[in-house]
Amino acid sequence: MSETTNGKSDIIALNKVGKTFWRGKERLDVLQELDLTMKEGSFEALMGPSGSGKSTLLNLIAGLDVPSSGSLRVAGVELSQMSEGDRAGFRAANIGFVFQTYNLLPVLTALENVELPLLLAKLPAAERRKRAQTALKVVGLEDRMSHYPRQLSGGQEQRVTIARAIVSDPKIIVADEPTGDLDRHAANEILNLLGKLNTEFNKTIVMVTHDPAAAERASICHRLDKGALAL
Amino acid sequence: MIPISYNVRSLLVRKTTTLATAGGIALVVFVLAAALMLSSGVKKTLVAGGRDDNAIVLRKGSGNELSSSIESNTVSLILAAPGVKKDDTGAPLGSGEVIVVIAQEKLGAKPGQVSNILVRGVAENVLKLRPEARLVAGRSPKPGTDECLIGKGIAGNFRGMSLGEKFELKKNRPVEVVGVFEAGGSSFESEVWVNVETARTSFGREGLVSSVTVRLESPAKLDAFKANVSTDKQLQLEAKRETTYYEEQSQGTALFIAGMGWVVSVFCAFGAMLGAMNTMFAAVAQRKREVGTLRALGFSKFSILSSFVLESTVLAVVGGLIGLGASLLLSFARVSMMNFATWQEVSFSFSPTPRLLIGSLVAGALMGILGGFLPALKAARTSPIEAMRG
Amino acid sequence: MTLLGVAVRNIKRSKLRTSLTLAVVAIATLFFILLRTVVWSWTSASEFSAKDRIATRHKVSFVMMLPKRYAQEIAQIPGVKAVAYANWFGAKNPKDESDFFATIATDPRALLEVYHEIQTTPEQKQAWFENRRGALVGDALAKKEGWKVGDKITLTGSIYPGDWEFFISGIYTTTTTNVDRSTLYFNWDYMNESLSARQKDQVGWILANISDAGASGRISKEIDAKFGERDLQTVTMSEAALNQSFLGMFSAILKAVDLVSIVMILIMGLIVGNTIAMGVRERTNEYGVLRAIGFLPKHIAQFVLGEAAAIGLFGGLIGVVLGYPFVNALVGRALEENMGNMFPQFRVQPGIAVLGLGLAVVLAVFSAVLPARQAASLKVVDALRRVG
Repeated sequence: MSETTNGKSDIIALNKVGKTFWRGKERLDVLQELDLTMKEGSFEALMGPSGSGKSTLLNLIAGLDVPSSGSLRVAGVELSQMSEGDRAGFRAANIGFVFQTYNLLPVLTALENVELPLLLAKLPAAERRKRAQTALKVVGLEDRMSHYPRQLSGGQEQRVTIARAIVSDPKIIVADEPTGDLDRHAANEILNLLGKLNTEFNKTIVMVTHDPAAAERASICHRLDKGALAL
Repeated sequence: MIPISYNVRSLLVRKTTTLATAGGIALVVFVLAAALMLSSGVKKTLVAGGRDDNAIVLRKGSGNELSSSIESNTVSLILAAPGVKKDDTGAPLGSGEVIVVIAQEKLGAKPGQVSNILVRGVAENVLKLRPEARLVAGRSPKPGTDECLIGKGIAGNFRGMSLGEKFELKKNRPVEVVGVFEAGGSSFESEVWVNVETARTSFGREGLVSSVTVRLESPAKLDAFKANVSTDKQLQLEAKRETTYYEEQSQGTALFIAGMGWVVSVFCAFGAMLGAMNTMFAAVAQRKREVGTLRALGFSKFSILSSFVLESTVLAVVGGLIGLGASLLLSFARVSMMNFATWQEVSFSFSPTPRLLIGSLVAGALMGILGGFLPALKAARTSPIEAMRG
Repeated sequence: MTLLGVAVRNIKRSKLRTSLTLAVVAIATLFFILLRTVVWSWTSASEFSAKDRIATRHKVSFVMMLPKRYAQEIAQIPGVKAVAYANWFGAKNPKDESDFFATIATDPRALLEVYHEIQTTPEQKQAWFENRRGALVGDALAKKEGWKVGDKITLTGSIYPGDWEFFISGIYTTTTTNVDRSTLYFNWDYMNESLSARQKDQVGWILANISDAGASGRISKEIDAKFGERDLQTVTMSEAALNQSFLGMFSAILKAVDLVSIVMILIMGLIVGNTIAMGVRERTNEYGVLRAIGFLPKHIAQFVLGEAAAIGLFGGLIGVVLGYPFVNALVGRALEENMGNMFPQFRVQPGIAVLGLGLAVVLAVFSAVLPARQAASLKVVDALRRVG
């Protein structure tokens, strides 16, 4: 990892990253020659109008997609040439996901939803359970463990999603509009929680948001416009 | 009303689901149509043997030619009855026949497997009496010899039953096959025709015949003929129109096949109907917002209900047509089966009739209507507010 | 919780859809079991036939008669214990001509020796022996027709014309299911005495009991050889072989039953596959989430296939559980009583139940292969974008 002046290393480093989509014969350059670094333990927001490429950027950082050009290192791993199978392993180990629409499995209880990512790790059942319980305690839902998603409020569902994101102890949490579906009060709770993960647990948080109030919680706010960083 | 193109497009959008559901209904319609076609084939094959202007005389209560027996000397009485047509020479057109089924080894089956073949001892004028029958190979038997004709339905399918081969009706009394005949697809094509005397002496039926068949001057003469034949209570005879007789003979087997077909189809149809219901429930759930919008636009509950029932019916009719198409291919197939009335093996074909085809299709459509009704009801109850929800 | 556990949970998702699909699988399994039991019962009829009984008939045709004295001659062949002769009488109840049951003229004493499976009380037996017009009827037939011991009945002959009067001397049951319980047996002499001279002393077939079941082939050959040079030759075979040859005449029906059981399973496969496919389409986004948090395409395929297997297993189990009483108590009882010689034993065989259940699971999984591949091949980013 490249050392920087303030002693903290870059956990995310994009070098001349481009991403092109084809819609039929029409070429869409969603990201162009993008250089961006994020420090370990930072809380950074990505803002920008629709179509600015912020979600594509988030997908690249999370290892969901690969760039068309340039290099991309996340958590010490070069992702740009990695196969989908290897990236799945990378995601399981390094990335926690928080989505706007929560995306919990409706047929599983809160505890089981949180336990889900651990099924990929070869852990004994009791150990998985213990870790999932711990994660739910962190988000303050220890009394809702056996509830199904439909029995929870939106804010509670999003907290379960956060518990799911941290249960395998990833270094990075990516959040795509985590407060987009919530009222102000619930949104504040979620943002407080993300802040706590950042400060107390030293998680690097990358958050895409439209909400200026949410962006204020981040230490750095990147603005994207037409596939490039706007300053 | 919501235009039907809306439904057709909805079906096309979810092609795989549409195809799978229609496929289930197609299979049911196929099974039903196949069974009904075979049942009608049985009827057709057996009834085709009969003529409207032929009458058959049996011993009263015997039910069929196989159990019937009539003294030979009454044959001339029957032939002299009013209404019987005379041929060119002035002789009455009719004859007494001897009918026996013989167990013959079937070729191409398990070794030793026998089936029953009907042997008909016929008079020389048999081809005049049954003009539908005509030689397709070989020649007519010489009068007074142990030569025989066989129907093309059994030719080559049983031991000794091929042109030029011989088989025994009795020890040391071989019968030679000199000709093969066809008879308009009727059950005669599954029979052996020998000289009546040969049959009589081989089977120990001296002085007896099984039945008497006569040509009537016209179909309308049956009643007169019938009245005359049954006047003599001592003789215990009954006369029937030949078509009526063969229709009775086909009843058991035809009903059995149709009955089996219905039982099987009802089971399968139940399954396919639940499948259609499933598909339609999913379609309704998927289009909740769409339906809410339609309601908000002012379409009535009834038009939503009929629209979804219609969609499911279209789905079922498409499946039904596929099934019917497949079942029509069976017209080229033939099935050899036992007719329960005479224990005789007869070769049947699948015979489609407009009525049964329409019936099968209607059964298929009904699956769609029944399967679509509950989901359509659910759709109709969708509140316009759904249109606004996410 | 395990991966398979998550897959199984998915069947709870849409209760209505799952119940409908389970119902389809259950019906298909039940029907499959019923049809296979028909085939099994029919084809195994010969296994249940008495091994120590052989039957002799006219070589050329079953409708032709043998002289009665052949019976005495067969009795003299070493190894033959008892001999009975019989004629198919073919009488009908004048009240309902379409109501079919077997009426057989026979030698009462000999019949009960040859058919040791036929059971009646000593008093009824004695009454039958002594009454020239006495009839012994099966309990299933007596129940159907409402006949009681002592009743006088009149039947119409089809082969032997006229009205025939009988007294019900006794009602029999059987110790095994391979003997029909819907037959009316009566005294052969009663029939014979009223026939014309040329029809007299003729019998339709001759049954013999042999002391060593293993010798049935040898004794059958010996009987046929004995009459080989006579005017009327015979064919003798064991009851088992007779049943088998009878069965052969119905091979077309058995083939049809086979075919239908396959069609039923196909319909089931289509419907299960469709249900799974609909589920997969609705859950695209979920699969995206699972893939995002690190699950691999093979895991997604496992979820889909596991769900299908669970539907097959539960539906199949319901079908088996309902199939047992349906086949054994409902259909089986009726068939055994009324068509005992064709369906001597109509019971669900464990093998058939297991096969039905296995097929339900295998076909459900097989039908889910396509949707599973579809789900597994989704691109993560595309799947995630389809937010509901």
